[in-house]
Amino acid sequence: MKRSILNLVVTALVLCMASVMSSAKVGDSAPDFTATASNGKTVHLADYRGKYVVLEWHNNGCPYVGKHYKSGNMQRLQKQWTSQGVVWLTILSSAPGKQGFVDANEENDYLAKMQAAPTAALLDPTGQIGHLYDAKTSPQMIVINPQGVVIYDGAIDDKPTTDLDDVPGATNYVSRALEEAMAGKPVETAATRPYGCSVKYGD
Amino acid sequence: MPITHGTLELIAEDQWIAPGHSLYLGLHFQLERNWHIYWVNPGDSGEPPRVEWQLPPGVTAGPIEWPTPHRLETPGIVDFGYENSVTLIVPMHANASLSPQQAVQFGASLKVLVCSREMCIPGKTQLSLTLPVKIQSPLPEPRTAELFAATRKSLPLPIPKSWRINVADANDSFVLTADAGHPIMQAVFFAVTESQIANAAPQKLVPAASGFRLTLRKSDQLLKPIQRLKGVLVLSGDRAYVIDVPISKARGGSDAP
Repeated sequence: MKRSILNLVVTALVLCMASVMSSAKVGDSAPDFTATASNGKTVHLADYRGKYVVLEWHNNGCPYVGKHYKSGNMQRLQKQWTSQGVVWLTILSSAPGKQGFVDANEENDYLAKMQAAPTAALLDPTGQIGHLYDAKTSPQMIVINPQGVVIYDGAIDDKPTTDLDDVPGATNYVSRALEEAMAGKPVETAATRPYGCSVKYGD
Repeated sequence: MPITHGTLELIAEDQWIAPGHSLYLGLHFQLERNWHIYWVNPGDSGEPPRVEWQLPPGVTAGPIEWPTPHRLETPGIVDFGYENSVTLIVPMHANASLSPQQAVQFGASLKVLVCSREMCIPGKTQLSLTLPVKIQSPLPEPRTAELFAATRKSLPLPIPKSWRINVADANDSFVLTADAGHPIMQAVFFAVTESQIANAAPQKLVPAASGFRLTLRKSDQLLKPIQRLKGVLVLSGDRAYVIDVPISKARGGSDAP
């Protein structure tokens, strides 16, 4: 009996440590990564030090993602912020065979069809970047400041639904975080529940 | 009524509605194997069903009484909800002035997200149910009696009166201590409000002579202090209790505001 309780405690501790180590919280340094983009280029996050970076978790089969692409909201945000020097990285963490997994050509076709305008779309079929940031959903959004610190982590906006009608009246947390940070103010809403579909990681 | 990957029915516990009485309606979901809907706190992903009632004049709806949820785990993600089949029951209160008449209609507009481990499909459904209004005290509807009885068994109970539950704020976690008068070896907590507890974090249970101590890691999204912890405590044998307790500072912690 004693032995089994001890085993349970040890297992719990190990699991605890593993989950603490894997997440990047608001206020922490954004963990660096290297990834291959759908355009064939290699992207190092550290190369963007000095700029604001937005990470957008994506899965083209998810209705919550569909809400923001079919309404044109995501493309509008991408264009608005990249035109102001923000780096926008769309990240695809679906494992092969799971919903939202695409190869480079399929992703390039999607970007063209949707008139999406991220700086790059990063292919993350192993889920490495997703796990590094403990991404739970699509579309989870993370904002990193020019010093490389995570200043926002969570939902795209305050309407956790799949309804296209909810886009116009929503408060967009990503834009608000960027506006506040660029004005030298602290980000008022720095962490929210990232609504959407679960990220389809491999087993 | 077919919904995506299942069916949904609006059912009543009684044969009629009576002025001055309460009546339970139920939203009965029958889903295909391995498909699920969500609890009021859906966990890391998903969203709970949302219902908008169209009620006869003189009738008001209470809140959904949610059955004890289940953990729905996929790699790295923990959601809370119900697989295969569930009934969400809702009390309806009929005003004493409700006049006996042939029949009244209850309408429900639902937005429901139905998911498997692989995908989610949102849907909208309109349901309706017609019931007579009679002065006599309502009689149970035999066709739904079993379903309502089973659903009531799946609701979390009030915590036993002799138990003492304490919740202390210990920096990155909440420590829930239960004094039940006997050792408890198994307990899992579900917070009713999202973004309070880290859903996927292991909950460390330490059994004690008179109960247990359970350590719950705070959610990274919890940036402001909360005053109370509300949720459902599930023990062995599917015994489940509702808890709603104030949060105190951990012993040895600073008392400074």
